[in-house]
Amino acid sequence: MFFKRTPLALLNLIHDRRKFLTSMAGVGFAVVLMFLFTGFMNALFDSQLQLLERLNGEIVMVDRLKTNMFVPRAFARRRLYQARSFEGVEAAFPIYISDANWKNPETRRTRPVRVLAFNLADPVLLLPEVTTHLSQLQLPDTALIDLRAREEVGPKQAGVVSELAKRQLRIVGTFSLGTDFASGNGNLIMSDQNFLRFFANRGPNEDERSFATADVGLIKVKPGTDVNRLVQTLQTRLPSDVLILPKDGPNGFVERERTYWQENTTIGFVFTLLTAMGFVVGIILVYQILYTDVADHWSEYATLKAMGYNNLFLLSVVLQEAVILSVLGFIPGFLVSALIYNAAAGTTGLLFKMTAGRIIGLYVATFFMCLISGAIAVRKVQATDPAEVFGL
Amino acid sequence: MKPASSTAPVDAFLEESAATASAVSIRGLDYFFGQGELRKQVLYDINLTLPKGQIVIMTGPSGSGKTTLLTLIGALRSIHEGSLQVLGQELRGLGNSKLVEVRRNIGFIFQAHNLFESLTASQNVEMAVELVGNFKNKRQQAAAMLGQLGLGERVSYKPASLSGGQKQRVAIARALVNEPQLILADEPTAALDKKSGRDVVTIMQHLAKNEGRTILMVTHDNRILDVADRIINLVDGRLESDETLSHFQETHDPKKLDGQMFIL
Repeated sequence: MFFKRTPLALLNLIHDRRKFLTSMAGVGFAVVLMFLFTGFMNALFDSQLQLLERLNGEIVMVDRLKTNMFVPRAFARRRLYQARSFEGVEAAFPIYISDANWKNPETRRTRPVRVLAFNLADPVLLLPEVTTHLSQLQLPDTALIDLRAREEVGPKQAGVVSELAKRQLRIVGTFSLGTDFASGNGNLIMSDQNFLRFFANRGPNEDERSFATADVGLIKVKPGTDVNRLVQTLQTRLPSDVLILPKDGPNGFVERERTYWQENTTIGFVFTLLTAMGFVVGIILVYQILYTDVADHWSEYATLKAMGYNNLFLLSVVLQEAVILSVLGFIPGFLVSALIYNAAAGTTGLLFKMTAGRIIGLYVATFFMCLISGAIAVRKVQATDPAEVFGL
Repeated sequence: MKPASSTAPVDAFLEESAATASAVSIRGLDYFFGQGELRKQVLYDINLTLPKGQIVIMTGPSGSGKTTLLTLIGALRSIHEGSLQVLGQELRGLGNSKLVEVRRNIGFIFQAHNLFESLTASQNVEMAVELVGNFKNKRQQAAAMLGQLGLGERVSYKPASLSGGQKQRVAIARALVNEPQLILADEPTAALDKKSGRDVVTIMQHLAKNEGRTILMVTHDNRILDVADRIINLVDGRLESDETLSHFQETHDPKKLDGQMFIL
């Protein structure tokens, strides 16, 4: 019965083409605002996890006091060797991480970058560029540079020669990872042997690094092993100076990192507030659109009431208009947002992810935005007195 | 002041059969606007019976309460005092949803056509058909009604491409498509030229005569008074006169100037 009705709501909305386009643009604008603010928020969080998600292992071992990747705390590497003796552990890889100043070869200015190092025989990172450059990385004083590092680090290509921690370094290739809070301006990847060349002795003001300690331990389990059970066993049997977590899952290392940034920075608060502002702007815009429609068709709606339509019907017309606006405004808003995400990812090196869950989530927000506006505008229709149409 | 209706010949004759044979029957109706101190009476002791099949024209100066009376009969306002029966249903004390039910049996025609610009002529009429739940044949029904009013060629035109008279005819089609027994019209010809206005009232006259519909029309348009069976005059909220057309013409004929005309 509903589909046989004259689609009054839709026809009223699209009757005036220009007004319809402005209405769509209005809703789209609110949608873009929300996408942009949630996008930046998610990008800041997601970027913290880019490196972790590329680690080739199921279990992560870190120092108990390393509350997040930003804290430079190393643990005894022998814990990894101890872990290797447990049933179900296939391999355990140490990863060495340190920050150092990189000199931009063109401007001669130094910028801090993050150096990731590991034994080249260990398949630590799921990056194809690393495996193809293995033989070059074995040469002394060589490294790969992150293509998505910020512009300030200078040219990002093989053959560049510059200084890292005041020691000459030759770039032999590139890879693609991206920046985050901890990595500063970008990432470099080198062999553990080269890591020692650069960081074993950087003078009295810096920590001495050796193979006795590692920053992140990565444990690869045998197929068919219960990861959570193994984590439990490792945690109880190994000394408690290390924290052992599954990489993924609700209690995993990746999630812990995300929670840390959510709870210890104002990113979440600031961007949630901005998103809420976008939401409110949307409510006001849609209310204006619906209110104008009702005001313009005041006498027509009153006539419908005089003919015998009840308030419920008029209410449904306004709410239908709200829902139609939410759909038709969301689509262009989403498309424009996708373009902006691409552009922003290019300039910042942050990771802008447009996942299905986020798209659905924002559509639901848009839907409620329009519904709330509709509910406010409806009060105007309900106040319509059909008696007033006579003698107007 | 004594209500004029008691002197009306037509009314006296219809008195006994009022409840059954009449479309509208009003007894001792008083109506007030406002509350408390600001309470102002606009209608005083109205007694009026509209038998079925009659065209009644209501005249009177502006502010005399014509529109108020029309909205009361149309179940658009609820009455406080007196009795008002429309199509056999007592309106006094009816709830809002019941009033909406009553309205579905009444055709309203307004001074403005009040058509949705976004809908075609047919769709505007179909909105009325949908009210009675007839979804299957709404198209045919609307087209047939528009055809009867000479708009067969304009069924899928939007109001913007119709003339004033055509728009008013679409509005009439919308009011008539459900075959209401009572039609209330407020200045239906005010916005129309002479010919369109004449067409509109001819259609209405046709309906009343052939199909026994009752029509109550408020108008100042002297050009269409001749379609009336009966003309009632409302002044300051009281029924001042209620006369047949011929009597009205006699007393208002400019050729028979009598002294009465100049006493103000």
